[in-house]
Amino acid sequence: MFYPLTLAKLEVGQHLYWQIGNLKLHGQVFLTSWFVIGLLVLVSFLASRNIQRIPSGIQNVMEYALEFIRDLAKNQIGEKEYRPWIPFVGTLFLFIFVSNWSGALVPWKLIHLPAGELAAPTNDINTTVALALLTSLAYFYAGFSKRGLSYFAKYIEPTPILLPINILEDFTKPLSLSFRLFGNILADELVVAVLVLLVPLFVPLPVMILGLFTSAIQALIFATLAAAYIGEAIEGHGHGGEEHE
Amino acid sequence: MVSNSIWWLAVEAAEEASGGLFDLDATLPLMAIQFILLAVVLNTLFYKPLGQAIDERDDYIRKNKVEAAERLAKVEQTTKAYQQELADTRRQAQSVIAEAQAAAQKLAAQTLAEAQQEAQAQREQVQQELDEQKRLAFESLEQQVDGLSREILDKLLSSVAS
Repeated sequence: MFYPLTLAKLEVGQHLYWQIGNLKLHGQVFLTSWFVIGLLVLVSFLASRNIQRIPSGIQNVMEYALEFIRDLAKNQIGEKEYRPWIPFVGTLFLFIFVSNWSGALVPWKLIHLPAGELAAPTNDINTTVALALLTSLAYFYAGFSKRGLSYFAKYIEPTPILLPINILEDFTKPLSLSFRLFGNILADELVVAVLVLLVPLFVPLPVMILGLFTSAIQALIFATLAAAYIGEAIEGHGHGGEEHE
Repeated sequence: MVSNSIWWLAVEAAEEASGGLFDLDATLPLMAIQFILLAVVLNTLFYKPLGQAIDERDDYIRKNKVEAAERLAKVEQTTKAYQQELADTRRQAQSVIAEAQAAAQKLAAQTLAEAQQEAQAQREQVQQELDEQKRLAFESLEQQVDGLSREILDKLLSSVAS
């Protein structure tokens, strides 16, 4: 296994372990993810508490977010089928987005833990793998529920020769999803941390802003790709190919 | 004893080695469950109510738009009808005026003709009367002339005779 790297004072791969029975948990991930979840639930509650026909304030903001998510899902999954997938795709986007931005904007490092340090939940591989596996399950479910056993026909399309590659794709999809998100967020936080260590004033600012940008983009990519996979599974041999950014 | 302490060291090393970047453990399934719970909660708290609000607003706007379009069409139709009616009425009024003018002209001409005729008749009558009176006057004048001339003659004769 990997030993914790030590970059000056920087800690990578240190975890605050919680022990529940035989299970080991990464405490710092759960702490920040609860913060993110709490924030999302609170904002949603405030937005839908008093729904007006003419929206204002937080309702307006959240309606904008919802319209954005709807457009995303509609573009990828299609006009007819996108509605039941809005909660999944939307929660993916919101959770990843708020996680990434909380890692960049909330000064977690000020709170000292016995081990490890607080950061965005998405810079832990467990979170991103969990989200990616859920995405895989989601598109399998979408394909099955829509097309039954004929869903498996996609493995021998366009020719049976591509069978191994098609099967391999089901493994590369969650792998690329999880590692893209994990790598981007971790790298971003590391770059910022290293720069702060080297030049603590002003110089890290552009990188931090770039970090905000990439964080938002990563959330968008994850949600878009998840929606695209679901749309592909529903539609069958349609617009194949991933949209990497 | 020695073997025991070596064992402990090995355990410690193993425990340290269990950290790292790619440390997959129970965090993964719990995070997945947490995420699904979040999706469910957000569905009831966010996607459903706000989605409903957006859809209702869309319906409301679409309905209002259709109604407004209908009303506009109606207004345009009514305007057209009224304009038609106005044009018709105007034409009618014009024809009535023309008729009235023609009738008045006719009446005026008739009245003028009658008046002229009457005037002519009266003039002729007056002329006749005048002629009659002239004739009568001439007649009486002739008689008087006759009488006077006879008298003159008588006088002359009597003067001659005497």
